[in-house]
Amino acid sequence: MNKEMIRLSHISKKFGDDLVLKDINVCLQRGEILSFLGPSGAGKTTTIKIITGQLRQTSGEAWILGQDAGSMNEMIYERLGLVTDNSGIYEYLTVYQNLKYFARILKVPEARIREVLEQVGLAEHQKKSAGKLSRGQKQRLVLARAVLHKPEVLFLDEPTSGLDPSTALEIHKMLHQLKEEGMAIFLTTHNMEEAAKMSDHVALLNEGVIVEYGTPEELCLKYNKTKRFRVRLAGGREELLTQSLETAKQIAEWMARDQIETLHSCEPTLERVFLEVTGRELA
Amino acid sequence: MKTIHWNKVFAITATKTSAFFGKNCIIMPIFAVGFTLLMRFLYAYVIGDEVGVPGFSNGYALGMGLVMNICMTGIYCPALLLAEEKEKNTLRALMTSSVNSLEFFLGSVIPVFLAAVILNFLLIPISGYSMPASVLPIFALVNILCALISCVIGMLLGIFAKNQVTAGTLLSPVMMIFMLIPMFSMMIEVLEKISEFVFTGVMMDLVIGLAMGQGVSLSGLQLAVMAAELILAVILFMAVYKKNGFEKD
Ligand SMILES: Nc1ncnc2c1ncn2[C@@H]1O[C@H](COP(=O)(O)OP(=O)(O)O)[C@@H](O)[C@H]1O
Ligand SMILES: [Mg+2]
Repeated sequence: MNKEMIRLSHISKKFGDDLVLKDINVCLQRGEILSFLGPSGAGKTTTIKIITGQLRQTSGEAWILGQDAGSMNEMIYERLGLVTDNSGIYEYLTVYQNLKYFARILKVPEARIREVLEQVGLAEHQKKSAGKLSRGQKQRLVLARAVLHKPEVLFLDEPTSGLDPSTALEIHKMLHQLKEEGMAIFLTTHNMEEAAKMSDHVALLNEGVIVEYGTPEELCLKYNKTKRFRVRLAGGREELLTQSLETAKQIAEWMARDQIETLHSCEPTLERVFLEVTGRELA
Repeated sequence: MKTIHWNKVFAITATKTSAFFGKNCIIMPIFAVGFTLLMRFLYAYVIGDEVGVPGFSNGYALGMGLVMNICMTGIYCPALLLAEEKEKNTLRALMTSSVNSLEFFLGSVIPVFLAAVILNFLLIPISGYSMPASVLPIFALVNILCALISCVIGMLLGIFAKNQVTAGTLLSPVMMIFMLIPMFSMMIEVLEKISEFVFTGVMMDLVIGLAMGQGVSLSGLQLAVMAAELILAVILFMAVYKKNGFEKD
């Protein structure tokens, strides 16, 4: 089931003389989550706009669902879902009416509305006017609308930015489920934990350049140059040991005497990888 | 030519209708009704039977009310509704949900157009003027043309407005032209001449002529003025749309 949903090849984008995307190459398969991890201004939103045909690249090719992103018409959106900070909701309509509106446009049966309302946890607020929702609830409504028509590709531009951790967690759960159902998800984030947790593949994006690409584990291991282990011993003492013959003997000895309470390997986080590759912080 | 999916157009029409009844928009037709009533009683008092044609003051009030409604409802509301969609980022949401620009245009204009046309008819009894039934077909034609032109102008101006506040500022001078020229054409001679070439002026002249007992007829010039302004508005709209889309950044 290796079906290619998105392919970007040698994409560059200039705004005036500003080169904001440089030779981007990436692809996304069915049932996969691909994340663009990078600080604000890296070019994440611009990439989404190019793939979804809202912006024209300066050079290179962008393909989505087998179509050239630059020359497709609006019917492609019947197969895509978008969650961006440009995704407004109708504040004078209720939660249900908001979804009903888009269900009519996208020819989705009404039963599906109740289904997504349950899924995003807004069922009990469906009669509330959308303007009265909290920020997290609004974002869930946008997400509900984006998946209403069961799109083949879902775009999420920093979907949990500014949300409380429990809402973010619920959104993560839902994305996981959608991915299991076969949806291809293109996620952008500046949150390395989110990228590490959610992605099948991560592209580290810095100033319009993909500086690293791989699975989160691959990237972390690749930059695990000095392997270190954190040990907590009985009695509360903590030790940070570097890989060596002595360390091996020491750990063996503690283990033999059943003195180890916890033992962790200290491979770098994506944040440290990003710092190492670019010399700058994510946030 | 773009394809039209009527399910999308009607979905937009339904939502735009509820937006039209929102507090920002609905005050426009209400204002037109209030203005017509005010003129009706004011002119009855000021003009009375001076002109010597029974019902003239009511006919005059009707003309004023019609021009007011065409501008307030016909021009102002589509512009305001478009600006609101941009301000709240819902236009982008629609356009990335498989709605094309023609569907959006139709869905947006239909409810306001209908409201303007219907209210123009309702203003007849509201003004107290008794329009002979034989005149109604010509009145309907001018009514529909005026409502159409005004809605296209409204959409055109809406492209330039980022939000509802800028829409207000932007619209004021344009409304002045289409509203005040015909309204003061009876009093100021220069305006009388100019008014003949403005679509709202055609409506005003039609009703005044009728009220003065001159009967009703639509001259070739009047038809040409309305046709030309409709075509001009559509061409301008398409040119500006082609350049900017609905959002001028
Ligand atoms: N319409 C535009 N005109 C000019 N520059 C832009 C425009 N949109 C984005 N940029 C610039 O492109 C760069 C990338 O922006 P963006 O893709 O929004 O970054 P991100 O989403 O990663 O925060 C930024 O430097 C931004 O200022
Ligand atoms: Mg962004």
